Amino acid sequence: MATILETKDLGKRFGAFAANSEIDFSVAEGELRAVIGPNGAGKTTFFNLLSGIADPTDGEIFFRGEKITHLAGPRRVARGIAKAFQTANVYPDETVFQNARLAALAHTQGLFKLELFRTSHRNGDVDTIAREALELVDLQAMSELRAGDLSHGDKKRLDIAVALATKPQILLLDEPVAGMSIEEVAKTEHLIRGLAKKMTVLIIEHDMNMIMGISDSITVLHQGKILAEGTPAEIRASKSVQDAYLGGHSEGHV
Amino acid sequence: MKSHDLRFYALTLLGLIVFPFAIHPIGGYPGLATQILIVAIAAVGFNLVLGYAGLLSYGQAAFYGIGSYVALLTVSKFFPSNPNFWLAILLAVAFVTAMAYVIGAFIVRLYGIYFGLVTLAIAQMLYFVVFQWRSLTQGADGLQGISAPSVPFGFASLDLGSSLPQVDLGPFGNLGDVHYWYPFVALVMLLVLAFMRTLTRSQFGEVLGAIRENEERSMFVGFDPARYKLAAFTIAGMLTGLSGALRGLYEGSTSPDSLTVDTSGSFVIFAVVGGLKTLFGPLLGTGLIMYLENVISAKTDAWRLIEGLIFVGVIVFLPGGILGSLRRKRKGGGPRDVLAGAVRTGPATDASVPRGVTR
Repeated sequence: MATILETKDLGKRFGAFAANSEIDFSVAEGELRAVIGPNGAGKTTFFNLLSGIADPTDGEIFFRGEKITHLAGPRRVARGIAKAFQTANVYPDETVFQNARLAALAHTQGLFKLELFRTSHRNGDVDTIAREALELVDLQAMSELRAGDLSHGDKKRLDIAVALATKPQILLLDEPVAGMSIEEVAKTEHLIRGLAKKMTVLIIEHDMNMIMGISDSITVLHQGKILAEGTPAEIRASKSVQDAYLGGHSEGHV
Repeated sequence: MKSHDLRFYALTLLGLIVFPFAIHPIGGYPGLATQILIVAIAAVGFNLVLGYAGLLSYGQAAFYGIGSYVALLTVSKFFPSNPNFWLAILLAVAFVTAMAYVIGAFIVRLYGIYFGLVTLAIAQMLYFVVFQWRSLTQGADGLQGISAPSVPFGFASLDLGSSLPQVDLGPFGNLGDVHYWYPFVALVMLLVLAFMRTLTRSQFGEVLGAIRENEERSMFVGFDPARYKLAAFTIAGMLTGLSGALRGLYEGSTSPDSLTVDTSGSFVIFAVVGGLKTLFGPLLGTGLIMYLENVISAKTDAWRLIEGLIFVGVIVFLPGGILGSLRRKRKGGGPRDVLAGAVRTGPATDASVPRGVTR
């Protein structure tokens, strides 16, 4: 499979502290890759570098072979890199449907359009894309609810739907099941499995049972660097990974 | 045209026709009505910046003042032998729009108080330029005694300073008290309101609203917030320039006072009192405050104090402004922070994002 996203010697320093360093990472098209590591390992920083929230201080990032190291976040979304946030990040005062519609609108119109005299409702594609995205996360029945009134789990799935409505080629999920009930976790796990058939998925997660169950492969970060990489079985058996988790401030045991 | 469009045009037109006469029994007069509509154009523009884009600009007076100077200089200095009303308006609006675009391009990435302070500083700089550039602006004296050229409409032309025919309207004064300025400015206001109404319902307005509600999410669905804010800032500058140009031509004079912090502050007060993010709020706020100023300052010197009390009173008791509160009461929602967008220091809602002046 072709490589879709790749980093070379990627690093992010905050003063003297290196949150990420020397990260050589690559994901193949269609893969479901998990990024794990003890707290403070640099996972979220790594995602922020990939999505364009943070600017790397070292190294390069490539998307389908093109350098996107310092490309602004919205431009990365336009190319097909979407992100769901660790804390569900939606438009609280809009309806569930309008949340997805806005993302679909961005996908159809691009970064900016000086459309001062016409509403977006003329473009039926926007509604279709939004509806499809909500169906994927099974929120279509809640279309008319105010997003801010959703439960935690539904809000996180709406956040994923918003990302999906941008029609991504690669989806970054930052702790998609954090804080969810057991039933919600099962539902979201099922959802992610389904998404992984359609696109490349990159996921940060602390829930080891889930990660070991769904990932094609796993990258372990420790102290800002890649400690290990391999299939779930290989990671489970790795001595260095066990040491890192036990030696660090671990929450979940491998 | 749809029925709600028809209703909007009919009711707005009716209101504008009745306005100069309705204020007659309570101490108003047609000249005041004209001034209110002219200044309200700038307040409507300010609403776009603070209300819809969430940018607290504290320097709109620069656009207003410079609009008045360019319009009057066009008539008196650039084309004195053949002064043209439309050309004066056109040059003023074009110049101020370009100015707003250039200034905006440098500052729309700033947030909250930083944006406010920089707009204030730029407006003060421009104030001093106008104040000191005596050869062009006549410094502190300002431009005086410039009569507006008649307005060519096709083959005919109209002197806006001439009066409408004398018709006694009983307690509502006399039609002849009204100069042609009023119907002209009322027509401009109708067009400005129609423009704002269309814009806020347009795709552009929808995205601008989304950016204001959640800037970070908007970036990560693929909108470019800076370009949306720049467009809003530029359009507001354009309307403010139009307002200034009309005010200059109407008064036949202007001075550096038109560029002061006081003037900028007035636009903030007008829009906030009337109601941000409402179509008619800034017009209502401008009308109310300017009317009260006119009536009250004739009786006491404490007008500024009273104006300040009104401003504080509205923010405390009517968050969302007069129209905003009415609308919310009708919809039954809870009160919301009137300046929510303006006091933010960054777009971040995710703790992982660095906050700060800009990024």
